[in-house]
Amino acid sequence: MTAALDIQGLRKSFGQTEIIRGIDLSIGRGERHAIIGPNGAGKSTLFNLITARFPPTSGSVSLHGRNLQGLAPYQINRLGLSRSFQITNIFPKMSVFENVRCALLWAQGYRYSFWNMVSRSRALTEGAEAILDQINLLQRRDLPAGVLSYAEQRALEIGITIAGGADVIMLDEPTAGMSHSETDYIVELIRTVTEGKTLVMVEHDMGVVFGLADRISVLVYGEIIATGKPADVRANARVQEAYLGAALEADH
Amino acid sequence: MQSLDKTQTRLEGGVSMKTAMPWIVSAVMLVLMPFIFQSNSAITIMNQMAITIVFALSYNMLLGQGGMLSFGHAVYMGVGGFVCVHVMNWDIFGSIPLPLLPLLGGIFGMILASLVGYFSTRKAGTVFAMISLGVGELIAACSVIIVVFFGGEEGVSGDRTYGMPFFGVEFLSQIEVYYLTAGWLLISALLMYLFSRTPIGRMANAVRDNPERAEFLGYSSRWVRYNSFVAAGFFAGIAGGLFAINYEILTEENLNLTTSGSILLVTFLGGVGVFFGPVVGAIVFTLLQTVLSLETEIWSLYVGALFVATVMFFPSGLAGVMQMHIVPIKLGKWRLLVMPYIVTLVPAIVCILGLSGLIEVLFHARHAAIGETEMTLFWVTFQHTEIWPWVVFALMAALGFWLARKNAPQLMEAWHKANTPDGADT
Repeated sequence: MTAALDIQGLRKSFGQTEIIRGIDLSIGRGERHAIIGPNGAGKSTLFNLITARFPPTSGSVSLHGRNLQGLAPYQINRLGLSRSFQITNIFPKMSVFENVRCALLWAQGYRYSFWNMVSRSRALTEGAEAILDQINLLQRRDLPAGVLSYAEQRALEIGITIAGGADVIMLDEPTAGMSHSETDYIVELIRTVTEGKTLVMVEHDMGVVFGLADRISVLVYGEIIATGKPADVRANARVQEAYLGAALEADH
Repeated sequence: MQSLDKTQTRLEGGVSMKTAMPWIVSAVMLVLMPFIFQSNSAITIMNQMAITIVFALSYNMLLGQGGMLSFGHAVYMGVGGFVCVHVMNWDIFGSIPLPLLPLLGGIFGMILASLVGYFSTRKAGTVFAMISLGVGELIAACSVIIVVFFGGEEGVSGDRTYGMPFFGVEFLSQIEVYYLTAGWLLISALLMYLFSRTPIGRMANAVRDNPERAEFLGYSSRWVRYNSFVAAGFFAGIAGGLFAINYEILTEENLNLTTSGSILLVTFLGGVGVFFGPVVGAIVFTLLQTVLSLETEIWSLYVGALFVATVMFFPSGLAGVMQMHIVPIKLGKWRLLVMPYIVTLVPAIVCILGLSGLIEVLFHARHAAIGETEMTLFWVTFQHTEIWPWVVFALMAALGFWLARKNAPQLMEAWHKANTPDGADT
């Protein structure tokens, strides 16, 4: 069985600075994989390389065995990979409902159609409402997305990401800047909406990933220093030295 | 809160009485207008209005719906119009019913847009704006170079009456042209509205708001923009065809930067955020252009001032200002606004009249022929050499300003109250 996501020798330099310094990582189907690491480790850059937001300097990324090199973000999305962003990235002037409905259009086969009326499609309306129900935003349906609270916008971001039914979901720090209760809510949300899907998430908050992830990779200065089950990673001496120790100290 | 039955009506979607009503009212209005305003000049103005509305709506497909600021949209209208006026001069015209001619303009506008859009819609923002400016200038410059097509400085003229009679109608009179134009206006506006409700129309909004996110939803931002651009070119071409029928002449003026700039002004004045915004803009602008220009030579100064004021104080345009009143009306609190509006707006209007009076007297004093000191303003005839008109206008301006300023806080407060539901804490 081919891996859902397979990364080989991935490197990225910005000018003289090498941010991603050779990453090999294979993520199986249905796995919940977390990438953790200190600030500036290159977590978001890794995400941007996988989803073709930036071109890699060298190396390759494959989705279900298919090399993604040279593909544009929208083409990668059509292959079944969807991502969220660390900085909330929604359609602020459109209504909450409209945000989700737009995320459904391609997946439901509407493509660039100018002969269908979106409001006449029961599948679109019900699909969007089902997602809104899942992310608890039904009551905010008709508000412009830009006026939602921060946590609601983050939930909407996840809603948009999962709406298209992609089987590989990538979440970039979904709980960034949230309170404890909001974090618990989002983690529960992630757990339910990614049921049966491959999840790759970047996280800064340790507590979040230890409960959620099947496997964890620790990224430090553009390299993965450990990959494995949460308990094994926690016990790994290099990880403790490079990241956990410092973070745990900071926590206490 | 969301009630379930509300969702149900939404689901049935498509055509309901509520969505069809504005269109039925508009259609009836268009039919009745010539009976209300019967004079020839009024019909001429209405024809011009209808053409401007189609053009402005097409422009808003770019600016309002797709987030593309174009400085060269007149090109597509102009080229569509030129094609139509050339067809009028061909023998084949005798076998084409005139009402179909705008379609031809639309097709050529669309062809040009599909060529230009291929490279101009790659990026939105400044790049798009600059390319549109360049292409606009390029084609306007061509009009004096390619004389065969653009007719040089005198343009190309034709005669619409050579067309095949359409159910016996030969379009000799203005009123026949009016109904032709109004019919196309209704069809075009409806099609443009429906376009905004299709998947591609919705995605045009998404790409406008956040092109990058749209890409991560499976849509190529460029292709979405390209589609809107081509569609906008089509409807601009239709406006061009209508122009050709109405005026029977097209010149360089129809595709130059001035025309492109003024349609931006019209659309923004009306409001880019609402579908009917450009309609309001086109009506107001055409009225100013035709009626105000009869009264004063410096009408464009006032239009310019209005535009600046709109951009600064009401960026959502006239339609946006109208929409702002939906909440107070829904809350049943609009009555709170009536008095504050009167005590603020009447002095404001007096102030504006005073200021424009000063400008007019000054303009007359500087630019009238030597020895001609008599002028008529606001139905009063006086000499600009006298002192009293200056004093009266200055007093009007000062007093009006002072009163409006004094009462403005009252209006703000009333506005706030009218927008606050009962029971909600302020």
